[in-house]
Amino acid sequence: MNKMRQNIYTMFFAVVLGLSCALLLTAVAQVTRPAQEKNKEAEEIRNVLSALKVPFESGSSPADLIAIFERDVEKQELGQDDPLILYAYKPEGGNELKGVAVRFEGNGLWAPIKGFLALEPDYQTVRGLTFYEQEETPGLGGEIVSESFRGAFESKKILDAQGNWGIDIVRSGTEASGDNQVAGISAATMTCDKVEIMINEIIGTLALKRESDGR
Amino acid sequence: MADNNCMTCGGSQGLCGGKGMVTLKEGVWTNNPLAIQVLGICSALAVTNKLSNSLVMGAALLFVCVGSNLFVSLLRNYIPHRIRMIAEVAIIATFVILFDQFLKAYYWEMSKQLGPYVALIITNCIVMGRAEAFALQNPPIVSIVDGVANGIGYGVALAIIGFARELFGAGQVDCFGLSISVGNWYTPNLLMIMAPGAFFVFGVLIAVFNLFKGDDAEEDKK
Repeated sequence: MNKMRQNIYTMFFAVVLGLSCALLLTAVAQVTRPAQEKNKEAEEIRNVLSALKVPFESGSSPADLIAIFERDVEKQELGQDDPLILYAYKPEGGNELKGVAVRFEGNGLWAPIKGFLALEPDYQTVRGLTFYEQEETPGLGGEIVSESFRGAFESKKILDAQGNWGIDIVRSGTEASGDNQVAGISAATMTCDKVEIMINEIIGTLALKRESDGR
Repeated sequence: MADNNCMTCGGSQGLCGGKGMVTLKEGVWTNNPLAIQVLGICSALAVTNKLSNSLVMGAALLFVCVGSNLFVSLLRNYIPHRIRMIAEVAIIATFVILFDQFLKAYYWEMSKQLGPYVALIITNCIVMGRAEAFALQNPPIVSIVDGVANGIGYGVALAIIGFARELFGAGQVDCFGLSISVGNWYTPNLLMIMAPGAFFVFGVLIAVFNLFKGDDAEEDKK
């Protein structure tokens, strides 16, 4: 009987402790949410801009970034139902198209990875690549955000010599000789495979939507 | 432990029952969590490539350690023995998430640079160790002192490593407006910024701490 009472007390304690912690955290999350969302939005904009190679100063405030974004980038819709959002880089709102970016996302090794892929106006050559959300292993998969990995994509084609859509991230150590091949990160093969899958998914979607739109 | 006269301080000899200074000295110096106990080095090696990162990480650990020590100590007579570790982790996790949310809301750049390491404080052996070894057996105020001491001990050690790595790795230290430069003659040694650099500096730090602590211990004996 005494043991029973002990068990009930243990459970009671666990529930009360769990509930109070949860309540406290919920309250804090509510209070800090507006500031966090603003930061997130600015972060996304910073990433579209840098994928598209829109010049901006590195220390720009969220408000400045939004202003640059609204001046230089035009949102377009591609496809009829469930349209794909294109971010078209037209300096100063002019007619000259310098690049287009699309958002992509998919599952990483530990958590979702989100980013932007920017293409040259020919829709075949990579202009830039950024990741604005990832929680891969720091130092290994986390290196996908590094300048050297992302930079390797620039001026690569998003289709192979046979005209099949897709980019190929080869294992590090193997030579990335093809026009659409990029060297992976050593010790981060799983992350690289997942990144390849999500990028190719968006490349496929983009190709499909452009066909259906006749562009 | 003496806990008879007063609920909060556990004794008549001052607020901490006469243990305040000893506890403080142990955490910061003679039993420094990083340099002597060599605990929590995962984060110490990872975030110390810049002084500013080290300081924020130190502040985070201080906050979490004080908070969790206080609450574990307050609840020490109520926590059922069998689930005490889970209860400790729940309390620690709450404080870590609090700090993480705060960084995400008001220090976005910092939060991005520290990445998952703030959240990983939950598994930092120092915090858990202090809760289990100290707060569970001691009254709240002296537990706070212990948390502060260990937070400072960790933070200072981290700051020393961060300062050395940034100075030799980047040639200059930029930290919250403060800027110290080695000079143009120096070619930055990138190795110091990378993980191996942390091992070198950390090794030297442990050696130095042990060297001086050795003297200290002998003096105590005399």
